[in-house]
Amino acid sequence: MPTELALTLIWSLPFLAAVIAMAMPAGARNGEAWLAGTVAAVGLVLTILLFPQVADGGVVHSTITWMPAYGLDLAFRMDGLAWLFCVLVTFIGLLVVLYARYYMSPKDPIARFYALFLAFMGAMLGLVMSGNIIQLAIFWELTSLVSFLLIGYWYHRSDARDGARMALVITGTGGLALFVAMMLIGHIVGSYDIDVVLASGRLIAEHPLYPVTLILFLLAAFTKSAQFPFQFWLPNAMTAPTPVSAYLHSATMVKAGVFLMTRFWPVMAGTDMWFWIVTYGGLATLLFGAYAALFQRDLKGLLAYSTISHLGLITTLLGMGTPLAAVAAIFHIANHATFKASLFMAVGIIDHETGTRDVRKLSGLRRSMPFTATLAIIASGAMAGVPLLNGFLSKEMFFTETAIYDPNVFVNLSLPIVATLAGMLSVAYSIKFVHGVFFGPEPTGLEKTPHEPPALMRRPIELLVLACLAVGIIPGITIGPYLAAAVVSVLGGDTPYYSLSVWHGFNLPLIMSIIALLGGVAIYVPYYRRLRGIDGDPLLRGLRGQRIFERLLITATNRWARKMVSVFGTQRLQPQIFIVVLLALAAGVGAGWARMGNLPLPSSFDPVLGLVWIVGGVSALAAAWQAKFHRLAAMILMGGAGLATCITFAWFSAPDLALTQLLAEIATTVLILLGLRWLPKRLPVPEDISIGMRLRRYRDVILAAAVGLGTGLASYAIMTRQAPEGISEFFLANAYTEGGGTNVVNVMLVDFRGFDTLGEITVLGVVALTVFGLLRRFRPAPDSADRPEQQRVQADFAEAQGSANVAADFLRIPALIMNWMFPVVMTVAIYMFLRGHDLPGGGFIAGIVMSLGFILQYMAGGTRWVEDRLRILPVLWIGWGLLIALLTGLGAMALGFPFLTSAFAYADIPLIGKVPMATALLFDLGVFALVVGATVLMLIALAHQSIRRPKPASTPQPRKREGLDTWN
Amino acid sequence: MDTMNHIAILPILVPLAGVIANLVMGDLKSNKLLRLNVAFSIILVLVSILLIVALAQGDGTAAAVYSLGNWPIPFGIVLVADRLAALMVLVTSILALAALLFASARWYNRGTNFFPLFHALTMGLNGAFLTGDLFNLFVFFELLLAASYGLVLHGGGRNRVKAALHYIAINLVASFLFLIGVALIYGTTGTLNMADIVRAAPLIAPENRGLFEAGAAVLGVAFLIKAGAWPLHFWLPNTYSAAAPPVAALFAVMTKVGFYAILRLWTLIFANGQPEEFAFGQASLLAIGFCTVAYGSIGALSSKALDRLASYLILVSAGTLLLAVGYDAPSVTTGALFYVVVATLAAGALFLLKDVIDQTLPAEAQVLAVSLEFYGDEDEQLDEDEEVSPTTPAAATVISWCFAVAALVMAGLPPLSGFLAKFVMISGAINTGETPTAATWVFTATLIVSGLFVLIAMVRNGINIFWTSLPDGAVRIRMLELVPIVGLLGLCVVMSIAAGPALGFLADTAAGLHNPASYVTSVLGSGAAP
Repeated sequence: MPTELALTLIWSLPFLAAVIAMAMPAGARNGEAWLAGTVAAVGLVLTILLFPQVADGGVVHSTITWMPAYGLDLAFRMDGLAWLFCVLVTFIGLLVVLYARYYMSPKDPIARFYALFLAFMGAMLGLVMSGNIIQLAIFWELTSLVSFLLIGYWYHRSDARDGARMALVITGTGGLALFVAMMLIGHIVGSYDIDVVLASGRLIAEHPLYPVTLILFLLAAFTKSAQFPFQFWLPNAMTAPTPVSAYLHSATMVKAGVFLMTRFWPVMAGTDMWFWIVTYGGLATLLFGAYAALFQRDLKGLLAYSTISHLGLITTLLGMGTPLAAVAAIFHIANHATFKASLFMAVGIIDHETGTRDVRKLSGLRRSMPFTATLAIIASGAMAGVPLLNGFLSKEMFFTETAIYDPNVFVNLSLPIVATLAGMLSVAYSIKFVHGVFFGPEPTGLEKTPHEPPALMRRPIELLVLACLAVGIIPGITIGPYLAAAVVSVLGGDTPYYSLSVWHGFNLPLIMSIIALLGGVAIYVPYYRRLRGIDGDPLLRGLRGQRIFERLLITATNRWARKMVSVFGTQRLQPQIFIVVLLALAAGVGAGWARMGNLPLPSSFDPVLGLVWIVGGVSALAAAWQAKFHRLAAMILMGGAGLATCITFAWFSAPDLALTQLLAEIATTVLILLGLRWLPKRLPVPEDISIGMRLRRYRDVILAAAVGLGTGLASYAIMTRQAPEGISEFFLANAYTEGGGTNVVNVMLVDFRGFDTLGEITVLGVVALTVFGLLRRFRPAPDSADRPEQQRVQADFAEAQGSANVAADFLRIPALIMNWMFPVVMTVAIYMFLRGHDLPGGGFIAGIVMSLGFILQYMAGGTRWVEDRLRILPVLWIGWGLLIALLTGLGAMALGFPFLTSAFAYADIPLIGKVPMATALLFDLGVFALVVGATVLMLIALAHQSIRRPKPASTPQPRKREGLDTWN
Repeated sequence: MDTMNHIAILPILVPLAGVIANLVMGDLKSNKLLRLNVAFSIILVLVSILLIVALAQGDGTAAAVYSLGNWPIPFGIVLVADRLAALMVLVTSILALAALLFASARWYNRGTNFFPLFHALTMGLNGAFLTGDLFNLFVFFELLLAASYGLVLHGGGRNRVKAALHYIAINLVASFLFLIGVALIYGTTGTLNMADIVRAAPLIAPENRGLFEAGAAVLGVAFLIKAGAWPLHFWLPNTYSAAAPPVAALFAVMTKVGFYAILRLWTLIFANGQPEEFAFGQASLLAIGFCTVAYGSIGALSSKALDRLASYLILVSAGTLLLAVGYDAPSVTTGALFYVVVATLAAGALFLLKDVIDQTLPAEAQVLAVSLEFYGDEDEQLDEDEEVSPTTPAAATVISWCFAVAALVMAGLPPLSGFLAKFVMISGAINTGETPTAATWVFTATLIVSGLFVLIAMVRNGINIFWTSLPDGAVRIRMLELVPIVGLLGLCVVMSIAAGPALGFLADTAAGLHNPASYVTSVLGSGAAP
């Protein structure tokens, strides 16, 4: 089989199988187990077959192109270290699958378990085989994500959810740190290819970016491998099903951190910074883990802390920076995986068969479960470092390395002393595990009667324990070549001579081992009764990382975040608008202030226009002042301001603009007036004259004045200075010759910039639909449902006078005139429309005139009266208006010209005379129809308020939106 | 004028035809009406694909220049469909199709005229992306805003009306600022055509330079309001979480219009290659981007409800994009363009997903997110020790996977496209100069830390929804509502797999953006010389 295919299969098969496992039926326990087991076995076989190619420092590659331009491809490479990890992952994976088949309850949704299990296996294999450091970060994060889902497998338990979340947050943070670290390494080395990185020698360690890179790098490794001070997530991850704990949280995933440090050891280690952080971080973890393990009553907790401790041991070794220490680290990785996985499975069996993992309830199980007891005792021996077991060998190597003379007195003393102390503690907790569970009197008060598990469930443990023994007794034959391959792949030419023999003579490390063994016994024997009952260590019990983390997370997210959101944000409209205006002012002034140029006073000034402007300005100010409590007055004043604008347009020879402005002003005023009628009355409340309020108002006034001044100055500058040579000349020159009209404004609207007009009429139509949609649901407020006060007074007066039905005759005479005016208005509209291209007028103006005609009818006759006689269907007017405009534009396209290209000719219409028939006129017709439709639609929306029943007297409670109340 | 250029206007005309069809044939039976509207939406997607495929044939600077009314450039209005515009149009069209399908299930008849407003919004969006004329940009902004006003109100209810009125008020002010900005720019350059402004900008009389920049700054404020930049975005979470879900989904692309306008105009006029005295605004963009991401991430952490969380995620992505624009390096822009596509699609999907989840969950579930963590859940202690996991119904599994994908994309976690986008942006930033500058560190840290915050927020919401609140038994989901969500997220996944070619296209796009001269030549050179 080609190597590349084998490599691809090893990492991709688990993912494919995960998808298949997901899709399998709920009850297919055996099917799932066979699937997962086959995948693991195939992976194992393929890996083993690849060994010859990696044996002597060889490396095999397979690359799938992904994002080559960014140096990120799916590159997989297998060397000795990756090979060792692949074997661990697939071999232990295979055993765990078998074990889980018996461990997991038939009622569990097993498809999810195996799917996640397989996905994890794929992620882990991808991680160790990564040939690209960014890809490594990707798989790294994937293992965290899948681990999250596996820890939370029993998500109905709150401790599982908490444990899962904590693990994800901690390791996810580390993953992000790793991502940045990898990009920095990529920047330093110039490639994300791991071969290039590993070949870069001292480049990284001597680069100015090394410190920050190293910190981020170690953050990742320490979080993943549960090193101090991030160790606390691992015991909480033990809420996962035991197969998961055995696989992820002892044998494989937590090894990713030490794998990472080993992988990059050649290029990152060997500096002072590395030495101090890694060695002492590891040493602290080693000691703390061993110490805490001694006080656990949950067997899985004990194993979890023991795992932390052993990871600390490996980290310490990697920190020391000597090649021999690196050898020991790699060796211990493999050893720890075997004995710890078997111990977890043994605990799982005990839990399964007795219903508890509490060491206080268990004892004397050697009688009911002799096989399991034997296996667990041997594995514990390996954990404690008993000779002839694999744990002893690597621990001995560790002691050797710590005992090497170092010129620094602190280092020279602290390393061996702490190592021996931790060794004593680990012996003690191993004895606690063995003695507490398997010896002593028969257990009492268990839910189940303990007995041996199914033979197949024990088989994985047997195999692992066998490995412990084999490696422990004949290391040279069993693990020698494989360890050598791994070591060479890391150390390359620096590979030192090392000996795997069991007996090295009577030397200092052996003395340390003996002290550790005896000391462990000495710790355990006098205190075992007390240790049995205790939960949590007496010294550090109050200082629980988990608790601190939870508190911090809750406080940060719940309290601080909410506080920040409310301090740096606002829900209220007025402050928001204030900020917007302030920022606009700041931006404008900040950008323009220094380079405004000088602003000369005008050479001439017309007092009449000045007067008009003063009136307009005062009207605008007064409108703003009155707007809160006197809406009608404000409306009228706004009309005054609008009129001033109209006069200004007319003054400066823009009759078309003036006309448009005037008509739009009228139409909007009328519509708003019609709407005002339905607004609830706003009663003036006693003036708030607190200082804060006053200051706020002064502040607002100052801002408003500043903005007005700024805009005014800018406008003044623009209008008084020589205009730049721009596009406007073109319009004046070509309106008649090219656009066929002498009214330049109209030609611009329907031709030069007809596309703008098309957009704007769509806006108008949309606004009309929106207004209609909004008002359709509204019911008049109770206090405005009654007749207006004026009508009531008049009716009362009429009643008092005895004359009946005054209200019906209300405004009779004006109404009659308005009715009669309808044809006249229509005629004016048509006239305005037709003359538009050459003289002030056009579709927009005509449309407003026409709709004013309709408004007059509604005002005169009332909604019911008009609609009995006239069906206007304004939505259709809008639709047809847009359609006509669109078709006009499309017509040009049909002839091969761009959209909205115009053509024109003159037509001689009897009575009216020569009329320019530009296609633009057709477009203008669309504008006309739309303006009529939109205005009338808004009118109808308002008018229909009067024929609706008012809101029920009791206003219904607004439906509360969950979760919003607190911050709204 | 060749056919390719005619394609450039179709993304505007197709939705317009959709608006008209709905108004003229408004009384159709409901299933015919739905089919009609879905057809329009599908045609729009096809047209957008056609446009982008046509552009992908040429090099990065190819642009279809369409002179409306056949007037010589720069006098008439011109549409300029370059790769960036075509990309944004495609994203809009796809998101619109998804939202429209989703709305067809039940939301469309919760109010009047949903479809015409919806098509008008797409028309406005596409027009804003395609136009090469500053005033025409204003018109399309008005169009998309007007339509969005109506759509926010769709479905009615006190909350929506309240949020919508805030939204309308702020955006009216923004439109006003837009107009002032355009007026100042026109007043100082004498032209509205964007390419012509680039040509005219260095020729502005010295005493007018201040006015020009003031105009640009005010215009920038208007764009920043649309883009959701802090401190101009406080309306956004309320509006987006109050809007009907399909509307909110389409709104996911609305903040990107602000981003687009800033990217387009700033890179054209003020950024790369401009002489020192004309360079302008970079520090502000970076600072605002940072604040926006920070506020959005913290807001996400503080959110209890999924719709609010999604709204804050919109802010996070808006800030990320502003930071990326401000960084002003082609490689970072490439990543930002990748990011804008996937973040928009995923955010849209998240808004839709929220509605589906709401239908399946008991109402009280949404409140519990934080309190559960804090106080623990007492009544669950009973089955604490039972080591059998609940069986998840298939439909719930699908929703939870959708949520997971959306969470990964939004948080920018491996292995999905959100991560790849961040990777390209950060690696671009780190490798742009010889050594990373302070801006690089801030940029990197902001992206990474915000990703972590989003992760925490999403995990909390996910745990709360899927691990504590899902009811027992089968969950019923409408296919019509599920398909758009799966489709959008599926695209995010496809974008991850096909990241290589996609990034190749986007890198060319970014290169074109950072070479304003090519834009100017393709617009001004293709018509009559000015």
